Amino acid sequence: MLKVTDLSVAYGSITALRGISFEITEGEVVAVIGPNGAGKSTLLLSIAGVLKPRSGRIEFAGRNITGKQAEALVSEGISLVPEGRHIFGSLTVAENLALGATVRRDRQAIASDIDRVLAMFPVLKDRYRQRANKLSGGEQQMLALGRAMLARPRLLLLDEPSLGLAPLIVNQVYQSIMDLRQSGVTVLVVEQNVTRALAVADRTYVLSFGAIAMSGRSTELAGTAAFDTAYFGVSREVEQE
Amino acid sequence: MIVLQNAIDAVSLGAVYALAALGIGLIFSVMRLINFAHGELIMAGGFCLYALVGQPLLVVILAVLIVSTVLALGMERVAFRPLRKANPATLLISSFAVSYLVQHVVLMIFGSRAMGVPFLPELGTSIEFLGLRIPRLQLVTVITTLVLMVGLVAFFRFSRIGLQMRAAAEDFTMARLVGVRANRVIAFAFAISGILASMVSFYLVAQTGSVSYKMGVNMVLIAFVSSVIGGMGSVAGAALGGFLVGIISVSLQAYLPVDLRPYRDAFVFMLFILFLFWRPDGLLMSRADRDRV
Repeated sequence: MLKVTDLSVAYGSITALRGISFEITEGEVVAVIGPNGAGKSTLLLSIAGVLKPRSGRIEFAGRNITGKQAEALVSEGISLVPEGRHIFGSLTVAENLALGATVRRDRQAIASDIDRVLAMFPVLKDRYRQRANKLSGGEQQMLALGRAMLARPRLLLLDEPSLGLAPLIVNQVYQSIMDLRQSGVTVLVVEQNVTRALAVADRTYVLSFGAIAMSGRSTELAGTAAFDTAYFGVSREVEQE
Repeated sequence: MIVLQNAIDAVSLGAVYALAALGIGLIFSVMRLINFAHGELIMAGGFCLYALVGQPLLVVILAVLIVSTVLALGMERVAFRPLRKANPATLLISSFAVSYLVQHVVLMIFGSRAMGVPFLPELGTSIEFLGLRIPRLQLVTVITTLVLMVGLVAFFRFSRIGLQMRAAAEDFTMARLVGVRANRVIAFAFAISGILASMVSFYLVAQTGSVSYKMGVNMVLIAFVSSVIGGMGSVAGAALGGFLVGIISVSLQAYLPVDLRPYRDAFVFMLFILFLFWRPDGLLMSRADRDRV
């Protein structure tokens, strides 16, 4: 469903991604983990069309989407929940959710999708007419997820959905990710919380210094010595090389 | 009674300043551009009025609206869209360039002398009301402004595109990530700023009875100051700032010693500088905006 080939992205003279290639098939949940500054967010922002790649190719559902505008990719079926959630704080919960359906015209289906989101996250129902900046961090993450779901994405990109949240809330967020996969959405999730990532994802990529250090089925990766080295001891290893 | 008379003057001048400031504030809120060429939208509307005065009123009003709006959309397309990813300073310089270009094109065609425009001279008369003399122009101005503002609020609150504009004003990248089309939202903002500018054109021409290629310059400065006082990025703040500057100007006009009255604007700008020491972010600066990365 998503095929990334030799993707390089740079901020000015600083290279963030160096020739990354990977593939995600439909219905999979794939995690990307790695230390700060490894290029995880850059990867998601490039797929979502916010950053323009320096070179390489991104294909989605068999079509070349490299360099396409972010707003056009939403209609193609790609939604990003960025790091820090970026809910519209001055707008109400209702307005945030309505904005999630910006690319759609099917009013009735939108209304029933909103009901579904509110059933999934009942706290949002209680605060439906309140400004979103009044929500707690966890509630904001739920709102951000719900907003992304309202675009009916085929590929959902999640950037650090557990960042700064209490464990109980993280459970709820990850439960909703599992629910989404049940409904057939493909998920690419970036995480610093390795345990969470490995638990939810079919396959995992370890990103380090803008390159894929390691990859494999999550169940096989966990606990191996090579994984520990790749994830925790990367800088030492690179120096030795 | 004189106080009440002054209050009426203050409110009507404040209304005009608020319209002008709204035009500036709206564009700034969606694309971080301080559009100094906004004054030229006002001026272009004025010259359209000059060309068409005497025609049926409805035709004149529509034509002025269209000229200012089309010019606003044209500016966006030619001078600002290609620079959208550039930094705000570049956009600002571009707006100065557009401003001078339009001014000097008009200067070449019409010359530098102000030209008289007999636009609805009956607006210069007053109606008596409870012992107050209310100039018709002020009455029309205040009513038009109120109608426009109510319309704008309704547009922002209830329309799809209005909601998208509010989202884009708060977080432009995130708005695009939910599918808001950047070009469309920005074009709408410019179209609205054109409509607001044309309203100021009507007022200025009716008030002064003339047009000149520099007629928008002073207004755009006042509008800029007003939107800074309200808080750049806050549309409501721009309107509030406009009213405040109008009220302060009229108060100074009324209560300064007679010798100093010609220098009213100097006092207005001096107060503005003092205000900035007190509230550099303006009155209604939104927190979300300050926290923007």
